[in-house]
Amino acid sequence: MANIETLVSEPEPATENPVSGIDQSRGDFSYDVKYAFDAGTGLNAATVDYISSVKKEAPWIREFRHKALKIFESKPMPTHWATKDLENIDFSKIRYYLSQGQKPKRTWDEVPDDIKKTFERLGIPEQERKFLAGVEAQFDSEAAYSNIKDIVAKQGVIFVNSTEGLREHPEIFRKFFGKVIPTGDNKFSALNSAVFSGGSFIYVPKGVKVAQPLQAYFRINAENFGQFERTLIIADEGAEVTYMEGCTAPKFSTSTLHSAVVELVALKGAKIQYITVQNWANNVFNLVTKRGVAHEEAEIKWIDCNIGSRLTMKYPGVVLKGRKARGEVISIALANDGQHQDTGAKMIHAADETTSNIVAKSISVGQGRSTYRGVVHIPKHLKGCKNNTECDALLINSNSRTDTYPAISVRGDRNYVQHEASVSRVNEEMIFYMQQRGLTEGQAMSLAVNGFINDLARQFPMEYSVELKRLIDLEMEGSVG
Amino acid sequence: MSSLVIQDLHVAIGEKEIVKGLSLTINSGEVHAVMGPNGTGKSTLAKAIAGHPDYTITQGDVLMGGESILNQEADERARAGLFLAFQYPSEIPGVSIANFLRAAVQARLAEGEELDATAYYKRLYAKMDLLKIDRKFTARSVNEGFSGGEKKRCEILQMAMLEPQFSLMDETDSGLDIDALRIVAEGVNTLRGPNLGILMITHYQRLLDYIIPDFVHVMYDGRIVKSGDKSLALELEAKGYDWVKKEFAAA
Amino acid sequence: MSAPTLSTARSTIGSFTPDLFASHLASVAELPAWWLERKQAAYEKFAALPLPVRTDESWRFSNISTLSLDGYALRLPEKATTPAFSIPTAAELTFVNNVAVAGDSVRARFNLPSGVIVCTLGEAAVKHPELLKAHFMAQPQKLGSEKFASLHQAFVRDGAFIYVPRGVELTAPILITHIASGEGSAVFPHTLVIAEENSKVTVVDLFVSADASAQFACGANDLYAGHGAQLTYAGAQVWSRETLSFQFNSTVVRRDARVQSLNLHVGARQARHESLSQLQAPGAFSEMLALTVASLKQEFDQRTLQIHQAPNTKSDLLYKNALRDQAKTIFSGLIIVDADAQKTDAYQSNRNLMLSEEAEANSLPGLEIQANDVRCTHGATSSRIDPEQEFYLQSRGIAKEMADELLTFGFFEEVVSRLESEPLHDALHSVIKAQFSK
Repeated sequence: MANIETLVSEPEPATENPVSGIDQSRGDFSYDVKYAFDAGTGLNAATVDYISSVKKEAPWIREFRHKALKIFESKPMPTHWATKDLENIDFSKIRYYLSQGQKPKRTWDEVPDDIKKTFERLGIPEQERKFLAGVEAQFDSEAAYSNIKDIVAKQGVIFVNSTEGLREHPEIFRKFFGKVIPTGDNKFSALNSAVFSGGSFIYVPKGVKVAQPLQAYFRINAENFGQFERTLIIADEGAEVTYMEGCTAPKFSTSTLHSAVVELVALKGAKIQYITVQNWANNVFNLVTKRGVAHEEAEIKWIDCNIGSRLTMKYPGVVLKGRKARGEVISIALANDGQHQDTGAKMIHAADETTSNIVAKSISVGQGRSTYRGVVHIPKHLKGCKNNTECDALLINSNSRTDTYPAISVRGDRNYVQHEASVSRVNEEMIFYMQQRGLTEGQAMSLAVNGFINDLARQFPMEYSVELKRLIDLEMEGSVG
Repeated sequence: MSSLVIQDLHVAIGEKEIVKGLSLTINSGEVHAVMGPNGTGKSTLAKAIAGHPDYTITQGDVLMGGESILNQEADERARAGLFLAFQYPSEIPGVSIANFLRAAVQARLAEGEELDATAYYKRLYAKMDLLKIDRKFTARSVNEGFSGGEKKRCEILQMAMLEPQFSLMDETDSGLDIDALRIVAEGVNTLRGPNLGILMITHYQRLLDYIIPDFVHVMYDGRIVKSGDKSLALELEAKGYDWVKKEFAAA
Repeated sequence: MSAPTLSTARSTIGSFTPDLFASHLASVAELPAWWLERKQAAYEKFAALPLPVRTDESWRFSNISTLSLDGYALRLPEKATTPAFSIPTAAELTFVNNVAVAGDSVRARFNLPSGVIVCTLGEAAVKHPELLKAHFMAQPQKLGSEKFASLHQAFVRDGAFIYVPRGVELTAPILITHIASGEGSAVFPHTLVIAEENSKVTVVDLFVSADASAQFACGANDLYAGHGAQLTYAGAQVWSRETLSFQFNSTVVRRDARVQSLNLHVGARQARHESLSQLQAPGAFSEMLALTVASLKQEFDQRTLQIHQAPNTKSDLLYKNALRDQAKTIFSGLIIVDADAQKTDAYQSNRNLMLSEEAEANSLPGLEIQANDVRCTHGATSSRIDPEQEFYLQSRGIAKEMADELLTFGFFEEVVSRLESEPLHDALHSVIKAQFSK
C-alpha cells in the first residue's frame, strides 16, 4: 500500500488545511496499487515511457515527451523573478500519472464539515459534491456529456480528450500541438509536455458558431481533474466557440502540483472565449501556461478567476499574429491567508492594427498576497497597435499585500499603449454608510468587494457569477472584526 | 409610541469636545428641527447618535424605546430603527441600489427567513414612483455619479424602504435646487406619521418652509440654547445667526 | 582553427586594474586613513562582483553587451572651458577630470551665510569626517549597480561637499560643474548635500564633456534632507555622445522634509541612472522628476525606487522620455510601502513620446504594497504626438518639424515647470533646445 506523499518539504499544520486535515494514513484512503496503472512517484524516462505506453501513443508523441523531459530537467526554477516558494516543490515525491479507476477513495463521513458547509453554501448539487470531495471517482452524467458531444458533432465539431485527439485526429491536431506554447517556453510547460494527460482537444470547423459553451465536460471526467491537463482548441476561419473550465467549489486533490498547458488557435476571423474559475485547496501549487494565437481579425478572450491554492502562477497570453487581431484578458484573483495569487497577462503584438486589453483586479485578504505580472510587447515596424491595461488591487486587512510588475515594450511612433494601476482599500465611510443601513460590517465588506469586481464578474456566465458572489461572501467572513 | 431620548450628551472627536451636554427628547410623530451656525456640532450630533466610530461619546446617554443604544454597533442601531440621512452620502461602486437595499431589507428579517423578491420589487417601485426616481436607477451603483439631488432622493428612498422609527436628517437640503428640494420635502412629508420621529438638522430656514416642524431648537457651541416652535425659525432667519452668537457667546 | 585565446570571457574590471587603483591611491595619499581604507574595500568589492548578465531582473531590457569597462584611463586635469549654463548662483565649484579647478577656496569667492560649507570631498574628509562618514554613500545600493557604485567609491576624488546648517536658507542655487576631458577619460563625479533642519538649498549638477570623445562617467550623489528641510536638486547630463555613463542617486528624507529632484538626460551613448528615495519619517515628501531626450542610438536606462518606511509619507515620480531616431529608453520603477507605512501617498508615472518609427520604449512600473490604508497609483503610456494637435499647428503655418518640436516642449513643460526657480527652468530649457538644433 502506498501512502499519499507529501509534496512540500514543510507541510502546513493539518488543522489549517482542508486537504491535509484528512487523515491520509487511514486505511481506506489509499491507492489500490496495480503496477499496470501506476507510474509510481518521481520522474524519469521510464515514467514517460510508461505513460506513453498506457495511452498507446504514436512514436512521435513518445519522442515529444522524452524531449520535453530533457528540457524540463535542464531548466532552472525561474526564481530569479518568481517567488522562492517554488523551491519547496519536491519533484521526486510527485505521482505523475494515475489512470482511470485508480483514484483515491474516501467516504462522505470523512469529508470535513467545513467543506460540506461550503458546498451547501455554494449550492453545489448533491451528486457533484461527492465527486468534488473525492468520494466518487466519477460524476455520473456520462449521458450529459454524450449529449453535448452529439449536438456539436452534428456541426462537425471535434470534442475529445487529448489522448483521443492525438490518436484519432493527428492530421488536425498535430499541426498546432506544442506550437503555440513550445515545450521549452518555461520549466512547467516542459513538465506538462513530458507527462500530460487529460484535457480537451477541440476543433471547430470553418464558419461554425457553437451556440452553447462547451463546459459540462469538466464536471464529469475525472481525468480532467488531473495534474497535467493539456488542452488545444482550434477555431477554424470564422468559427466561434466558448469554453469553460473549473467551478467555484473548492477542488480537493490528493496532489499538490498542478501544471496545465492550454493552447488556443483562432484562425482568420475566428473567436475563442476561454473561461476559467478555479478554487484550489490551500496546499496546491497551480502553475499553468495558457496562450492563444489570433490570426487576422480573430479574437481571443481569456476570462480567468483564481481563488485558493498555495501559489498560482498563471499569465494567459495572446499572440496577435494577424492584422486587426484582438486579444483580451479579464482577470480576478482573491488571495486569502497563506495564499499567493501570482497572475497576469501577456500580449504579444505581431501584426499591424492589433489591439489588446487587460483588466485585472485582485483582492488580498488577511495575509494573502496578490501579484500582477504583465507583458505587453509591440516590436519594430508595426503600426496602429493599441494596448490598454488596468490593474486594481484591493487590500482588506492591514497586513495584506499586493505587488504589480508590468513590463511594457513598444517600438515606433504609430502605436499606443497605456497602463494604469491603483491600490486601494475599502473606504471606511462607505462601510459606515452601509452599517447605518443595518448591514453588519462583514456584510458591508462583502458588498464592497463584490462591487469592486462587479464590472468583471458580469462578464462571467450567470451561474458562475452567482457562485462567485457567494464564494466572496464566504471568503470575506472572518476578515473583519 | 416610542421616544428617542438624548441625555446630557457630550461628544468628542479625538481630544476635542464638540457636543457639550445636549439634551433632547423626540417622540414618535414629532418633527424637530435643529438649527445653528456652521461648526456648532450639528452633524457631529447626528453621526454620534448613529454610532460612527470616529466620534467618542464621553458623557451622557441616548435611549431609544427606553433602552440605551450606546453599546450597540452602528448596524445594530440601524436595525433597531434608527436612520441617518447623510449630508454627504457615500458612493459604493459596483453595488446597485436594488441589491444594496435588498441586502439591507434582508438584514432586518429573522435568520432563515427569505425575502419575498416579488413583494420587495413591488414596494421598491412604488416608493420610487413616489419620489419621482426613474426605475432605471435601481441598476445604478449606489450614489456613484449621482447629482446632489439624486443622492438626497436616494437617501429618502432608503428611508422609505427601511421604515425607521427615528430618522436623523443631516442637512438634507444642502446641494438641492428648489425643484429637488420640493421633491425631497414631499417625500419626507408622505413618510411623516405617528410611527416616525424626525430630527432635522439644517442651517437654513428654507427647508422648514416645506417640512413644517413641530419644534425648533437652536444649537450653538455644542448645546441647545433656545427652543420654540416654527416661529423661532423665522425669527432666526430674520435676525441671523449673529444674534445667537451675541446672545449666547458670553453665557 | 585559430589558436585558443587566453580567455574569451569579458574582463570584469576592464581598464580599472589593481595597478590603476594603486596609482590612484598614491595620488590621494594625503587623505585620512579611514577614507583610504574605505576606498580599498570598495575596490575589492568592485573587482569581485560580476558584470550584469541578461537574466538579472534589475537589468531587464538593458543592453549589457555594451557595458565593457575597457579603454578608459585616469587623465590629468586639462584646461577646459566652462560651459555656459547661465544661472545666478550662490556658489560654484568646477571639476575637470575629477580635480577641482585651481583648487581655489569657494568661501573666498562667494559670500556664503555663516555655517554653510561648500568644499571638496577631500577637504571634508579632513575637516568634517563625522559628517562624511554619516552621509557619504551610506545608503544601500538596491537597484542593480553595486559593482559600479563600488567602482565609483574606489576612484572618487574631489567631489562636492555641501552642508547647510539648521535654519539657513540659500535662495540662489549652488552650481557644481563636472567636466570630462580627453579621449577615454574616466570621471567619478560626486555631490553630497546635507540640508539640516529647516534649511533650504538648491544644488545643480552639470555633467559635460570637453570634447566629443568616448569617455567613462561613473558618478553619484547623496542627498539628505533633515527635519523640515527643503532640498531642490537638478542634474543636467550632457556627456559626449560616445560616453558610457552611470549615475547613482540616494535621497534620504526625514520628518516633514521635502526633496525635489529633476534629472535631465541628453548625453552619453548609454546612460544608466539609478535613483533611490527613502521616506524615513512622517511628513516626508520626495518629488522625483526626469526628462530624457533620446536621439540616434542612445540608450537611457532609468531605475527608481521609492521606499515608504514611515506613515504619512508622500512620493511623486514623473519621468518623461522623448524618443527619436533609433533611441531606446528603459524605465523601471518600484514603489515599496512597508507594512507600517499606513497613509502613504505614492505616485509613479512614466510617459514616453515616440517621435520615430524605430525608437523603443520599455516601461516596468512596479508596486509592492504591504500596508492597506494607502493611496498608490502608477501609470505608463507610450504614444506619438497627437496628429490633431500637429495638424492644428500646421494649419497655422508652422512646419511639421517645428510643430513637433513645439509639442515636444509642451510635453516636457509639465515637468520643467515644477521647478520653482525661473532661471534654472530657462537654463534646462536651453539644454533641451540645443538637442533639437543638432
